[in-house]
Amino acid sequence: MKRKSKPVNDVILQTAAIIIFFIIVIFSIDLFFAGHYSPGGGFIGGLMTSSALVLLLLAFDSQTLKTVLPIDYRLMTATGLLIALGTSLHSIFWGRPFLTHAYDKFHLPLLGEQTLHTAIAFDLGVYLVVIGVTMTIIQTIGESE
Amino acid sequence: MAYQLLINFFLAFIWMFLTESFTSSGFFIGYLLGLFILFMMRRFFRTDGGSFYFARVWRLFKLFVIFIRELFLANFEVLRLVMSPKLKIQPGIFRYETELDKGWKVSLLSMLITLTPGTLVVQVSRDNSALYIHALNMPDKEVIKKEIYKNFELSIKEATE
Repeated sequence: MKRKSKPVNDVILQTAAIIIFFIIVIFSIDLFFAGHYSPGGGFIGGLMTSSALVLLLLAFDSQTLKTVLPIDYRLMTATGLLIALGTSLHSIFWGRPFLTHAYDKFHLPLLGEQTLHTAIAFDLGVYLVVIGVTMTIIQTIGESE
Repeated sequence: MAYQLLINFFLAFIWMFLTESFTSSGFFIGYLLGLFILFMMRRFFRTDGGSFYFARVWRLFKLFVIFIRELFLANFEVLRLVMSPKLKIQPGIFRYETELDKGWKVSLLSMLITLTPGTLVVQVSRDNSALYIHALNMPDKEVIKKEIYKNFELSIKEATE
């Protein structure tokens, strides 16, 4: 997939971008899960993931990214908001105030004793909202001729 | 060669399950034993045009060592040019035809050329067949071309054949 508008061969940029993309994505997932005990969390993880997508946008064109990742980012934002709202609302049904989080120890298969917390679901909502908003802004600016 | 690596990982996991040692050292021992088995069976992979995959890993390691050596030598060369009282350099851009076929090999060669000081890849031609290289000091471009070919391109060719 080459650009039509610029007759420049950017093979070095594209090769490097494909390799670096995966490293950035795995690092962003690590940041997302590190948020409870160490610096990190949903916001910075989402920004890091969208920066990986922006790197692909720089190396290729927006049409290529649309064929590779056919995601509607506005839907993604809505989904993230719904997840965040749902995790905030669930405590009302247990007679607790809004936004009260619950946690418990579970015995998971293959993973052993793990503590699960509902804050991770809230963080997932934040993560999806950040990716959706960032990519919507960048794509709208990029496509307005 | 990727499936030889997969077989090796598979053998390492089988070794872990057989000895019931689910540790990194158990995996490492299984990996070494699998490597030995694959080495005994290296002619088996030659039937479909392949070769023993660790030979390629070894050649990549050799390329890395050559790169580190060139980095040191060329850095001292640039240091000598910078510290000399009179700047006697002849900069210029020349065209270097490469025989590498795939895009990622050309990218690897370009990065190696760029990271060794004194030379810098400015552009790649449209069909990946030539690089345009800016050199800091080129009294004779044929010498630089020969050095690049001897050091990097041959090694990349050997390592990826």
